[in-house]
Amino acid sequence: MISLSKLSFGYDDRETLRAVDAEIAAGSFHFLTGPSGAGKTTLLKLLYLELLPDSGQLLLFGNDPMAGGQRERLEIRRRIGIVFQDFRLLDHLTVTENIALPLAVHGRDPAQHDADVNELMRWVGLTHRADAMPQALSAGEQQRAAIARAVITSPDLILADEPTGNVDAEMGMRILRLLVELNRLGKTVLIATHDLGLIRSAKKIVTARILRLADGQLALGGSDL
Amino acid sequence: MARLFGPGSVPLVPAGGWAAWLVILAAAVMAFLAVLALAAGLAAASLGAEWRAELSGSATVRVGGDDDAGLAAVLEILAGTEGIAAARALEREEQSALLAPWLGDGAALSELPIPRLIDVTLEGRGPDAASLAAALEAAAPGSVYDDHAAWRGPLISAAAAIEWLAFAASALVALAAAGMVALAARASLAGNTGVVRVIRLIGGQDRFIARAFIRPILWRTGTGAALGAGAAAALLALLPGAGNVVGLDLAPGGGRLLGLALAVPPAAALIGWAAAAVAVRAALRELP
Repeated sequence: MISLSKLSFGYDDRETLRAVDAEIAAGSFHFLTGPSGAGKTTLLKLLYLELLPDSGQLLLFGNDPMAGGQRERLEIRRRIGIVFQDFRLLDHLTVTENIALPLAVHGRDPAQHDADVNELMRWVGLTHRADAMPQALSAGEQQRAAIARAVITSPDLILADEPTGNVDAEMGMRILRLLVELNRLGKTVLIATHDLGLIRSAKKIVTARILRLADGQLALGGSDL
Repeated sequence: MARLFGPGSVPLVPAGGWAAWLVILAAAVMAFLAVLALAAGLAAASLGAEWRAELSGSATVRVGGDDDAGLAAVLEILAGTEGIAAARALEREEQSALLAPWLGDGAALSELPIPRLIDVTLEGRGPDAASLAAALEAAAPGSVYDDHAAWRGPLISAAAAIEWLAFAASALVALAAAGMVALAARASLAGNTGVVRVIRLIGGQDRFIARAFIRPILWRTGTGAALGAGAAAALLALLPGAGNVVGLDLAPGGGRLLGLALAVPPAAALIGWAAAAVAVRAALRELP
């Protein structure tokens, strides 16, 4: 699913990731952890191709995005659902419209997917907020809407960057359960978080591998959690 | 679920508030000016053509002396000259009527040494002016052949200059409109980089994003242009004696005015679309 080999990336003259190696199997559940500024978000950006590595090899779904052009990278990106810490819902669209947005972006007619959108809204518990604007939602509701948006096109890989960073512990658990459920449906899930409490809670409900990022290096971790 | 993100549906790009209204207003003003300038250009073109047709088809001969023998000799020469279709001596009453505005009705014209005038209708390219003038001088000394070239030329040149100025003004208005739309498109994109980023991250192509930004600008430009062109056409139609303006059928329902009012909005929308497309695609390339 994801293969990193000697992957390096730096901003200007500061090297953030140094020769990172990792393998993430399809259908697995991973946490990416490490202190603030360790490069968790940078690594996620490399995985969803907002950034391109300086050197090394990255394989996504068996494809090398560096070898292809923009079209190939776009096709890869469409197989990835992204959940951001700051949600990134479009303020001028309702919850329903935000969730349906990827359908339109991918060239599908959202009107043909009413049932999917409604089902997803039910799943994340936002049916009663279908016509609300994002500003009217709580942080937890916004994050659940963002998760629904991330999975409406049924991507193979879910990347979540600090998905519980802006919500309380109870809502954090609810969001975690949604992501675990997605994993049980066969989706590969990678969550970047510095919240060790969340990881400890997750270990009770899902078999997760933990990748620890420190000093630009990635290592398997979690035995201390 | 309501239809999303397509024509006439929920817009992917925020409406834009007052900036959107400014685009409509600017497009309306541009179209208003364009219709006026084009109407002026068409009127000048028609006027020039009419002057050219009327004046190039006629000439005047002033007969030297005031005896009838000279008049008869000149008429005989004119009748036998190639390029002249007809020649008719003006009656003294007709000449008096022509001079009345300057000399007054009571003037004793018969006591004044007024030369006789002959109205000449030309055909084809007209006569050889130099040889005709020499023949007339020989038949009746002091006779002058006037083909109106001395004052016809400047008049026609003036009409042509007005025509070109009007069309140049229209072109400048179109250029200004294109610039305005391009600026509006860039401003819209600059104000919505967050939207662009999200759409890209969920797999949107720049072509899709460009369409989402161009569509509302196209609609606003077309709407504004329709309002402005309609207002200009209505104003022209309401002008006193508008229906009689030379060569331009400005009366309500007039074909050329209606044509102008109908042609300007799509042309403005086309210019808006092209300008927005170029500006948006360039701006998208600049965005990281």
